[in-house]
Amino acid sequence: MSNKRVYEVMYIALPEADDEEISKINETLKKAIEAQGGSVVKIEDWGKRKLAYEIKHKHEGRYVLIELEGSGKEIAELERRMRVNDKIMRFITVRVDEDRKAAEKIRAKRQKRRARIGAVKVAEVAQATTEEQPQEE
Amino acid sequence: MDNEKKINMQENVENEINQANIQRTTARNRLQIEIPEYIDWKDVKFLEQFIPERGKIMPRRISGVSAREQRLIARAIKRARIMALLPFVKD
Repeated sequence: MSNKRVYEVMYIALPEADDEEISKINETLKKAIEAQGGSVVKIEDWGKRKLAYEIKHKHEGRYVLIELEGSGKEIAELERRMRVNDKIMRFITVRVDEDRKAAEKIRAKRQKRRARIGAVKVAEVAQATTEEQPQEE
Repeated sequence: MDNEKKINMQENVENEINQANIQRTTARNRLQIEIPEYIDWKDVKFLEQFIPERGKIMPRRISGVSAREQRLIARAIKRARIMALLPFVKD
């Protein structure tokens, strides 16, 4: 597979973690990704959010989303680091490139369909008007 | 006798078809949700529409979404649950 894979990695840090700690974590994770030949597309800080259920007796957590591109080798190291970090309560890795491609296909299909329906309607209207005209005469 | 049975069966089948049609249209009318091409597991607002009070995933006989969409929605909800974006159970 020469194709680049795209992953979304999200982690929940302790609610007590301040901005400095979060950026430190992000920095180390970024370095780990780049050391394995991957690249970070974006890092999104969602800030503090209420958890839908308790994790480690906490009701809140700091959410951070990282989108990265790479071969897939960097994930193992990334996950190991997150598992070791005691500031991180939970994380998830989702591969998104294939799903996005599939979504793109559907979008194209829908657009085509919409265009076809539009064309049929235009044709119907045109036909209706041409049919009306001889009657009027 | 045989003829009567046949007629009855035919009526039954017709009834079933009619019922199925009614159910389908009402189900479709029940949820007028625009389903995006890419179902994102982080889109809590969208996914919340498919979890009624108990926090369970809404069956597609009620939401009226396609099988493919239901599959993708269910997967997205499960991912969101792992990250505590959505509850496993609500009480």
